Amino acid sequence: MNARRNIFTSDAFHGLVRNRVVIILAATLIIGATFVPGFLEFRTASLGLDRMATLGLVAIGLTVVLIAGQLDLSGGAILALSGIATIGLQAELGQIPAAFVGLGVGIAAGAINGFLVVVLRINSLVATLASMLFFRALAHLITESRPVSGIDPFFGLAVSRPIGGTFTGRTLIFFVLIILLHLWLTRSVAGRQLFAVGSNPASAEASGIRSRAYLFGAFVFSGTMAGVAGVIQSLSVNTGSPVFGENIVLIAIAAVVIGGTRLEGGRGSALGTLGGLLTIAALTTAMEYQSVPSYVQAIVTGVILLLLILLDRTVSGSQRRDVTLAALWRRARSSRSSRITERTLHHEK
Amino acid sequence: MTTPVPPPPGRTINRGLFSHYGARLGLPAGILVTLIAGALVSDRFLTVQNLTNVLINMSIIGIIVVGMTFVFVTRGLADLSVPATVAVGGLLVLGLESSIGTIPAAIVGVLAAAIAGGINGWLIGYAGLNPVITTLASGTIVLGIAQVFVGGVIVYGDNTEAQAFLTGRVFGVVPVIVLIFLAVVVIGHLVLSRSMLGRWSYAVGSNPSATGASAVPVKRVRAIAFLMTGTLSGFSGVLLGITLQTARPGIGTGYEFDAITAVVVGGVSLLGGSGTVLYAFGGLLFVQLLTNIMVLLGVPTEPQGLVKGALIVGAVAIDVALRRRGGRE
Amino acid sequence: MTTSTALRMTGISKSFPGIRALSDVGVDVEKGEVHAIVGENGAGKSTLMKILAGVYQPDAGTIELAGETVRLADPIEARRRGIGMVYQELNLVPDLTVAENILLGSTPARFGLVDRRALRAQARAVLDELDARIDTDDLVGSLTVSQQQIVEIAKVYAARPAIVVLDEPTSSLSEHETQSLFRIIRRMTEAGLAVIYISHRLREVLDISQRVTVLRDGRLVETRPTAGISAGEMIKLMVGRDLTDVFPKREVAIGDVVLEVTGLSRVDEFTDISLTVRAGEILGLAGLVGAGRTEVARAIFGLDKRDAGTVQIDGTEVSIRDPRDAVRAGIAYVPEDRKRDGIVPQLSIKDNISLAVLDRVSLAGWVKGGAERTLAKDKAVELTVSPPAIAPRVDTLSGGNQQKVVFAKWLAAAPRVLILDEPTRGVDVGAKADIHTIIGNLAAQGTAIIMISSELPEVLAVSDRIVVLHEGQISAELPRGASEHDVMHAATGEVSS
Repeated sequence: MNARRNIFTSDAFHGLVRNRVVIILAATLIIGATFVPGFLEFRTASLGLDRMATLGLVAIGLTVVLIAGQLDLSGGAILALSGIATIGLQAELGQIPAAFVGLGVGIAAGAINGFLVVVLRINSLVATLASMLFFRALAHLITESRPVSGIDPFFGLAVSRPIGGTFTGRTLIFFVLIILLHLWLTRSVAGRQLFAVGSNPASAEASGIRSRAYLFGAFVFSGTMAGVAGVIQSLSVNTGSPVFGENIVLIAIAAVVIGGTRLEGGRGSALGTLGGLLTIAALTTAMEYQSVPSYVQAIVTGVILLLLILLDRTVSGSQRRDVTLAALWRRARSSRSSRITERTLHHEK
Repeated sequence: MTTPVPPPPGRTINRGLFSHYGARLGLPAGILVTLIAGALVSDRFLTVQNLTNVLINMSIIGIIVVGMTFVFVTRGLADLSVPATVAVGGLLVLGLESSIGTIPAAIVGVLAAAIAGGINGWLIGYAGLNPVITTLASGTIVLGIAQVFVGGVIVYGDNTEAQAFLTGRVFGVVPVIVLIFLAVVVIGHLVLSRSMLGRWSYAVGSNPSATGASAVPVKRVRAIAFLMTGTLSGFSGVLLGITLQTARPGIGTGYEFDAITAVVVGGVSLLGGSGTVLYAFGGLLFVQLLTNIMVLLGVPTEPQGLVKGALIVGAVAIDVALRRRGGRE
Repeated sequence: MTTSTALRMTGISKSFPGIRALSDVGVDVEKGEVHAIVGENGAGKSTLMKILAGVYQPDAGTIELAGETVRLADPIEARRRGIGMVYQELNLVPDLTVAENILLGSTPARFGLVDRRALRAQARAVLDELDARIDTDDLVGSLTVSQQQIVEIAKVYAARPAIVVLDEPTSSLSEHETQSLFRIIRRMTEAGLAVIYISHRLREVLDISQRVTVLRDGRLVETRPTAGISAGEMIKLMVGRDLTDVFPKREVAIGDVVLEVTGLSRVDEFTDISLTVRAGEILGLAGLVGAGRTEVARAIFGLDKRDAGTVQIDGTEVSIRDPRDAVRAGIAYVPEDRKRDGIVPQLSIKDNISLAVLDRVSLAGWVKGGAERTLAKDKAVELTVSPPAIAPRVDTLSGGNQQKVVFAKWLAAAPRVLILDEPTRGVDVGAKADIHTIIGNLAAQGTAIIMISSELPEVLAVSDRIVVLHEGQISAELPRGASEHDVMHAATGEVSS
């Protein structure tokens, strides 16, 4: 590639890009606080987060898939299908079993995706595009394109009511899951090995890691999360509809990309996704309060996503100094000792 | 180490015979079977009126399919911004026709869609972004902008003459809109099979680095595929708007789905470098005939969607399997 | 044979279609020894190592590890048996830490969670054994190439191998970094490991190894203690062969300068390359793999960017930003990697031949079928493509004929300057002779030709002049009649002995 040294290859720029979620989130909060009265009040935050919870669940699944170096476009369709199962089967199975079936739908759908990608070796983008179309069609088929109503509107209310005056049920579920994901990605052996798989599956295999199992698992996880999202969402509005989740994948990808996870794989973080989701939640809340129509909100989300992937493209390639906050801190602490080491090395020559 | 040791030999190409002729014969055979089955199943099937209806339904998607074929051939994967550009065409032509007249409004509609397609082309061809994410995002943006312009409501037109013109028949048999569609198909096929751009498109989709090393403007070719699809989608949106005399932002929903299905079923490979506009036309015809039969049989609308979805998955899997067995990476 | 012999390979032979890569090669390595393997491009070093790594299976021969005959069925088996490979392309995960990379696949854990303390301690222990000063918590992606290589070595070392193979380890290292690497190698041998060191940098081989094995054309030439050999002698062993006059050279009248390249540079690739080529002249561009020959060619042709330098055709400077500019200026390039850059496999032979010059057989953007077919047919016949049909897909042809199609494509452009990059690689003898004839004809017609080839006899027989590159710079310009010796000296950067 070009060996030009310009602003785009400087360390400062790299630092900005890597830590961008912090910057973007801060900027959004500032803008929100400026334009929306009561923006920083707790109730606003709680409502905003609640609305984002469904999206967040899908984004959790997507984060894992992206780190594994793959794409999953079928999340929205799986969400719809799970929701339909959850509500539609209530009459026959009862509400809780039906919810479990809905969850099972998500798991099964994820397994189908995994099969297409890992066993049939179809490119994940193509496979999940096809499965998305298929699942969506299935949803329309089952419901004859009409929403399905559940038997008891009060059953699912719990998830969308604030618990103990703080966050709503589903927000709490989301937070728990994303923290678990963060811990898994940073502390568990399997989580760390996922990065290896996403970065270079062949060399991961050479180190004894079963890459194909990880890839399959990533899709099952993503499908499951979409299933969870579908169950929770359909219960909260007591409706299962084949058009639910239509745009959710795009916005979830936007959140994940804002958070710094790359589309190419091998890199990502749950906290980053959280930051991206918070940003989108803040943006959406601010826009709602300004009565910005949903289609304009869509424009904003789309533009941000495009700008970010363009940005990622510009800085990709040259990976230089580690400019994550943790590394900067470490370097500052050890700068004295390393300077000594440097001098010693020099003498040895 | 890069000492030149050739790798163990791949498969030889004899399987090519099967996939080559298999693909070519499979679809016409399928269409023939569908026609026969339809005739057997319903006595309304082979009537001029019924078949003309099928053609009319095909026309809007068919124009989009021509563009999508180029996207596939150049290995641009898919253009998911089609619903947006179709809506732009429809909304603008009806929204502006009272102020500037139908034809100028139509031109504006097509131009706006072309700009959207051009931006897609630039981002994907030149900046090298992932086509699926990019067209998803741009589609959302464009649709939003279009809604801003018309205030987010349904637009009604009042030009019944234009409507009558398009749906009217030439020689009392063929509707004008179908003629337009067929003309686009013919032109599209000629461009893809006989022009420099068409040849370049095949080369780019088949082996972009060798094509670039052969002094072909790879980025430009990739970009043009998306520019073309955007423009054609806008054009079909314009036609749709005039025909219905109403347009709403969701008017194009699902068209990308249908276009991709037609192209894939027709045997145009998702991996690029092969297939023709006529193949895609065949795929579209097949799907539409199948749908028609189901309608005549009284099958409710939704199994149709299921069939389409299954067709896509099946066709893609077969394509990938054939490619893989042929020893291709 | 004592149990101090860590590895013994005997009678190894390996063939691929059309090419005999190794014939009856044997090598043995003692514990604690650094054993170097040298040879020019195509000598068989890489194939031999791939067999040791379990990537290929030998057609004949045995491998003994510490006296036990083994069969290395795949890379995982080889690793299990204690063979550690350090390739030029590193196998690290940029977003994991040094410690995590070193212990990848054997991460110390408690209940599925990473035991960070143990991880750090174990990684630190490995690094300390190698006396490497790298922080275990740094992300690998942020390290320099030299440091990354050390991490890769540590990773291999952590598996406690008996044998470590280093493949061209110093190509991206500075002098200072090379010394650091050598320190680490010495630590490994002190610990009893056997090290195989593959390199074309003869000075380094003399520095670090105890014995050196020379391969040539897939055969073992000799194994000698390093103390008893000089760089010059090594070169002699690497290239000494009888030059048979297989390639008849036509006497061609050489005209004026057509191509003049001045001061061509690209950071980290090549520096200050200047050369001229006249009409009818064949300029050979020689050098070892990695010397920068292909990079220079691609830069002249506009496939890759350059940071400095000018290109002139007939004395006028031309601006070349991409291959289209180059073709317009009359330059053509037959690439090294035929499969990736040469043919478009799904298109027909005709389409491949016309690909670069479609505008010349088109009218207003529409391809004139008749004119195209005529052009393709003419070129196919001219280049004796066999079978002489232009309709079938190009991937139905043999390698040699595919190469002819690539030639045909560029001849259709009627270039004034033709750059050939390894034009007879992977081509059978018959097609090779054909291609040499074609090159001769082209020269006779007044085309200026640059030929890159790693086959010394070919370069020497065909070229009117030879420019030798070494590590991105021109190290010698030799006249016709130079010896293989002279070329290899310049290619390895040796001062003539």
